[in-house]
Amino acid sequence: MIKFKDVNKWFGKLHVLKDVNLQVAAGEVVVICGPSGSGKSTLIRCINRLEKFQKGELFVDNFPLHDHSTNITNLRAEIGFVFQQFHLYPHMTALENVTLAPINVRKINKTDAVKLGHEKLARVGLSDKADSYPSQLSGGQQQRVAIARGLAMSPKIMLFDEPTSALDPEMIGEVLDVMVQLARDGMTMCVVTHEMEFARQVAHRVIFMDQGELLESGSPDQFFDNPRTDRAAVFIGKILTH
Amino acid sequence: MIAHYLQRLVEIFPFFLKGLWMTVAVSGLSLILSTIFGFLLGTLRAGNSRILSGVIGIYVSFIRGTPFVVQIFIVFFIFPEWGIQLDAFPAAIISLSVLGTAFLCEIVAGGIKAVEKGQWEAAASSGLGPIQQLRLVILPQAMQTILPPLVGQYVLLIKDSSVVSVIGVIELTRVGWMTVVRIPEGLMVFTLVGILYFSISYPLIRLSNNLERRMAVEQVRL
Ligand SMILES: Nc1ncnc2c1ncn2[C@@H]1O[C@H](COP(=O)(O)OP(=O)(O)OP(=O)(O)O)[C@@H](O)[C@H]1O
Ligand SMILES: [Mg+2]
Repeated sequence: MIKFKDVNKWFGKLHVLKDVNLQVAAGEVVVICGPSGSGKSTLIRCINRLEKFQKGELFVDNFPLHDHSTNITNLRAEIGFVFQQFHLYPHMTALENVTLAPINVRKINKTDAVKLGHEKLARVGLSDKADSYPSQLSGGQQQRVAIARGLAMSPKIMLFDEPTSALDPEMIGEVLDVMVQLARDGMTMCVVTHEMEFARQVAHRVIFMDQGELLESGSPDQFFDNPRTDRAAVFIGKILTH
Repeated sequence: MIAHYLQRLVEIFPFFLKGLWMTVAVSGLSLILSTIFGFLLGTLRAGNSRILSGVIGIYVSFIRGTPFVVQIFIVFFIFPEWGIQLDAFPAAIISLSVLGTAFLCEIVAGGIKAVEKGQWEAAASSGLGPIQQLRLVILPQAMQTILPPLVGQYVLLIKDSSVVSVIGVIELTRVGWMTVVRIPEGLMVFTLVGILYFSISYPLIRLSNNLERRMAVEQVRL
């Protein structure tokens, strides 16, 4: 489904991705962790070309993303992206947020879109918030609307960039629950997160990045209990004491 | 004497209405053109192309840095040198639109840039094309910032339209000058001219103030 081959990226002189090789199969749930600034966001933002890279190859759903003539708009419709800061459209209700892309990209009619929107909001447990504006919702609710917005396009892949980092602790659970359910339903997911519990519950693989390098890749239990590298051990020690 | 002039003024009042109509026509048309081109150039100015943005920036600086009278003279006298004959009316529309576009373009670009980058990213990620991102997600939010100064700029444009009297367009100000020759009561004549300008700009000023207040409230909601 996703295949990085020797991908390199620079921000000016800063080398942020160094020879990254990574494959994610359909239905696989991959958790990406690592210290701040290690390039996790950059890595998953490459998958829908919110970031471009300079060297290497990246195939997503068989589309070559290193080839700049690839029509990224069509591919993006197949990939849901959930941001740390939600980025809901503030001038639209929760329902409108969810139905915007289905109506304007998939061109489905308004009635079907509304039905679909309610369905997706129900899936994230927010049936009663369809007509609320983002500013009237808590952080956890906003993030769940954002997930519903992604799901409304029936994506083949869902990407999450620290979806719970901006939330108050008591709201993290409700968002993770939705993500766990999604993983169990067989969605292909790449999740940047430090939530070890979530990783242990549903991740098939945990990936550890540091300074632009993909240092480790293994099962959650193997990674958290017996990290192979010192840098990963130090990192795990830090999130445990957190 | 005053009563006599007042009566004369009443007699030729239809002439003033014609002038007012010309002012409305000239500023109205320029306002529409400025809005269209202002949004087009403003979008490009806020866009990713440094070159386009830079070129538009130079145009804006030139318009800001030169007196409007000079711009009108350039359009009216220099174009014929290049073989382009222009009547006073189209010359007035062109120069006013070039002026209005420059100011509106900066307002629009400012409004677009004030929208968080994450909004573009969210819209793009959901599969919306660049034009859809702008139309459905960015502009509706940018309008909050754009609308109040936009309407304010319309008022300025109406006032600036008085300058096109110099190339012989018989609009309100010109009518004032032509009347003063016959009725030497400058204060009276130009008070009337002022009142007529005010009658079209005041509703816009009110609108701008209202929008400002409404947007401030919505800003809180967002
Ligand atoms: N637009 C940008 N321009 C320049 N440098 C950038 C840009 N975005 C990120 N960087 C730099 O690239 C490096 C990797 O950033 P990235 O956001 O991918 O890290 P991260 O692992 O997601 O960190 P965090 O846990 O803090 O989110 C950092 O050093 C960051 O400062
Ligand atoms: Mg990050």
